[in-house]
Amino acid sequence: MFILGFHFPADMGNSVPDAAVVAKLDEANVDATGINEIKMVTEYHGQTEELSYTNKDTFMFKALVHYVKTAETDYMIYTNRYQISELSKRLDSDDETMALCKKFDSMAHFKITAA
Amino acid sequence: MAALRQIAFYGKGGIGKSTTSQNTLASMAYYFDKNIMIVGCDPKADSTRLILHEKAQNTILQLAAEMGTVEDLELEDALKPGAGIFSPEMPHGWINCTESGGPEPGVGCAGRGVITAINFLEEEGAYEAEGLDFVSYDVLGDVVCGGFAMPIREGKAQEIYIVMSGEMMAMYAANNISKGILKYANTGGVRLAGLICNARMTDFEYDLAWALARDLGTQMIHFVPRNNIVQRAEIRRMTVVEYSPKADQALEYKELARKIINNDMKIIPTPLEMDDLEALIMKYGLDEEADEDNIGKSEAEL
Repeated sequence: MFILGFHFPADMGNSVPDAAVVAKLDEANVDATGINEIKMVTEYHGQTEELSYTNKDTFMFKALVHYVKTAETDYMIYTNRYQISELSKRLDSDDETMALCKKFDSMAHFKITAA
Repeated sequence: MAALRQIAFYGKGGIGKSTTSQNTLASMAYYFDKNIMIVGCDPKADSTRLILHEKAQNTILQLAAEMGTVEDLELEDALKPGAGIFSPEMPHGWINCTESGGPEPGVGCAGRGVITAINFLEEEGAYEAEGLDFVSYDVLGDVVCGGFAMPIREGKAQEIYIVMSGEMMAMYAANNISKGILKYANTGGVRLAGLICNARMTDFEYDLAWALARDLGTQMIHFVPRNNIVQRAEIRRMTVVEYSPKADQALEYKELARKIINNDMKIIPTPLEMDDLEALIMKYGLDEEADEDNIGKSEAEL
């Protein structure tokens, strides 16, 4: 099973606990020093939109920093984005994050950078 | 040396199975140096055209008909090395290609070509090629006849990837293929390794594919978004990986390739009853207004 690109052994079944995904993110130990904002540009049918996300106390922020630091380009893989949203809706609750989850659930194309 | 893995891509006709499989296998070869033999099991013989840069490869059945019998056929006549970056002379993994072929439309049994092709390849030692890491079967549509079940029935393909989308018939086919896998799981050892959602980019498609995978007991291993670059590459008879290896879509196929290479989740599926499948589509596939009372009503009547 693959979640956020991490591999979870088959003996964990097809329903991996959220805590196991969070533990993998923690184990990855990505350096978030100096990152205060995640910037994104979305594009769908020629319409573009710039987004900014700053809530550092969330699973969402941790997952996005990990993505920015480990992905080879600024393109966001759709599967990872949908999975981040799915987990964040369960693990986070603030309005800023929920609004971003809604954007993530769309069919738009996302580019992401850290600032 | 790692053991040879035999995988197969199944799915509803027209779902993008051959495109998805060729782009994924191209990524496995180019980015991860895997050596692959593709066995096209579709009478259309379009499972290898993007790797060979050709319209359609001469099939084993065509070649056998020209020669007289399949016994007169040599392996090198039927198994062609990939073109461009997939050639054995190039620095990354190589891909060899063959197509089973089939009879004229409306005549004979198409599944028979699959059986003939696999038997021929085995007898000629194609599976023993030095350095071969993966054999991949690209199989037509639903498992409607025994011939198309051949790769799973005879234990040839051990891990099955079902290409589907968030549309009813694609999900119906995915469920039916799972029934076929279940039937032969104990005798042949075949397992379901995951669903690949070749997205049509419709509402709730990720949720729908994910829920079907969960209910079948497997994983939705990757959601492949729709992107025009796939068609632009196809017009040139190329995979995206070769046409534009740094394109966003190439990264999607690269990630799917990485997951397949590292996948250890191979299960005996638990297919759904038709009512459960319909219920799942009602729950995830339609918008909030859709309930039992609205079935058969036009937009104007709602």
